[in-house]
Amino acid sequence: MSDDTTRPAGAADGTDGVDPVLSLSNVDSGYGEVQVLDDLSIRLDPGEIVCLVGPNGAGKSTVLKTAFGMLTPWTGTVEYHGRDIGGMAPEEIVREGIGYVPQTDNVFGSLTIDENLRMGGVARDGGLEDVIETLYDRFPIIDRKRTAKAKTLSGGQRQVLAFARALVMEPDVLLIDEPSAGLAPNTADDVFEDVQEVNDMDTAILMVEQNVTKGLGISDRGYVLDQGTVRFEGTPEELLNDEEVSQLYLGG
Amino acid sequence: MTVLGYLANGLVFSSIIVLGSIGLSLVYSIADFANFAHGDTMTVGAYSALVTFGAVGGLGGAVLGLPYGFFLALVAGIAVAAVVAVGTEKLVYEPLDVDSIGLLITSIGIAFIYRAVIQIRFGSDFTRFGIQPLRPIEALVPYGVRVTLHDVAIVGSAVVLVGGLHVLLQYTDLGRKMRAMADNPDLARVSGIRTKRVKLWTWVIGAGLAGAGGVFLGLFNQLSPRMGFNLLLVIFAAVILGGIGSVYGAMAGGFLIGMINQLTPFFSNVVEALPIWPGWLAALLESLISIEYANAIAFVIMVAVLLVRPNGIAGEGAT
Ligand SMILES: Nc1ncnc2c1ncn2[C@@H]1O[C@H](COP(=O)(O)OP(=O)(O)OP(=O)(O)O)[C@@H](O)[C@H]1O
Ligand SMILES: [Mg+2]
Repeated sequence: MSDDTTRPAGAADGTDGVDPVLSLSNVDSGYGEVQVLDDLSIRLDPGEIVCLVGPNGAGKSTVLKTAFGMLTPWTGTVEYHGRDIGGMAPEEIVREGIGYVPQTDNVFGSLTIDENLRMGGVARDGGLEDVIETLYDRFPIIDRKRTAKAKTLSGGQRQVLAFARALVMEPDVLLIDEPSAGLAPNTADDVFEDVQEVNDMDTAILMVEQNVTKGLGISDRGYVLDQGTVRFEGTPEELLNDEEVSQLYLGG
Repeated sequence: MTVLGYLANGLVFSSIIVLGSIGLSLVYSIADFANFAHGDTMTVGAYSALVTFGAVGGLGGAVLGLPYGFFLALVAGIAVAAVVAVGTEKLVYEPLDVDSIGLLITSIGIAFIYRAVIQIRFGSDFTRFGIQPLRPIEALVPYGVRVTLHDVAIVGSAVVLVGGLHVLLQYTDLGRKMRAMADNPDLARVSGIRTKRVKLWTWVIGAGLAGAGGVFLGLFNQLSPRMGFNLLLVIFAAVILGGIGSVYGAMAGGFLIGMINQLTPFFSNVVEALPIWPGWLAALLESLISIEYANAIAFVIMVAVLLVRPNGIAGEGAT
């Protein structure tokens, strides 16, 4: 679904009548007393890749954390297939079919690669071994290191493992926070390819990405966040070509 | 006594300290607080075993000089300690929902409650299991080793329990979840681990082992309402020495601290025998390295180790 020219024109503003798989509506949220999200609304349609961009501290990670139950929305709703999941615990949200790859500390460093993947599948009913083997086939980088501790992996390998751990549940929706952060350019490209591949298998993806060109490049739609709210939304072309957007947020 | 003799005593005492250290470390790394009621959990185990042993008495035959009834009492001590800890978690710690410092302070209060209840029921005097004390094993006496079959039972049981814990941590689903939680509690929840449940099992295991340690401490020395609390600082020293939050570190730390504690009289003999000059220095050292200071010496060694390895024996705090 990364080829956005095939999408109907109305898709960009989410009014094409498709029921979103995940949506946040008029959400306020934050940490303790500190409000970060301010009346934020976004949606993710089936099969889409949607990219959140914006300056540091804009609240991008906070959106994912609120969607995944790490934070409870103060007001507004988080809906998954039309059901309110706002404030449901993360360990239960996983069971609903959403996966989450955090921005940092996204592997268990003292556990082996194999154990990391097993942990990714604790909520599965069965078929754990098969899924893990499939993931090893897909990601040979980690296949070669099954019994190594995750802390011995390089940045790129770690990102792949973090990604694979979330995929063990075969989620409907995957939330990914800055998959390319700290990676060398060609390693980052590999990770983006992996993201697309997962999307091709019918997983809708909501991704935060600092590398705006590449992030939007593989996305169907994007949102520009600033100070906890959506400033702009549109197709990658619309966002990348918008003068105001590029001046303010995309580094000129 | 010979060096071997002191080492043998050290091994017995270490077994008890190790059993205590594991639970403190597990609860620290998984439930995320320094549990000051841990020593008194050992006392709970010891007295529960005392009551059970009183009821079943010299049931059946005996192994290693201990009636079968004692092993039943040991199981009861483990079970009651675990149940009491889980009950406390469910009724106090979990509903309170405070941060680690709040939990630490609460646990001091809980420690007083455990101890007070025991004191009300049993008084504050020392007491013993009604088990015939044994003579040292004859065959070992020529080597200066004076350990009884009871001591062998203590070390053997500790080895079995620690081995069992190792298997659990490394090869079972629960163990992997516990290690995952100790490593990264947020990611554990993100992965779908129901952390409250794992926390309860952590309490069961940690308190159960503490209960066993308490029962053995009662067998090794005697029982008193302060027995566990008196050991708490030594256990903390062991856990810190091992690298706080690391279970295997806690085992190593417990082993070392227990050994040092029992080797103190040997060190003082050595100091006495050395031609230390001037005389006042010899006198000072002799007075410092005496049994009364066994715990203080353990602490000094702990500080010395931490100066070299600030994160303890097990390093970064990885489990
Ligand atoms: N755990 C926390 N406690 C308190 N405030 C936090 C916490 N995490 C983030 N914040 C604050 O919330 C705001 C938004 O943070 P968030 O991590 O969502 O930004 P971001 O858009 O993901 O930034 P970045 O690009 O740096 O990852 C920031 O001001 C940040 O300081
Ligand atoms: Mg972020």
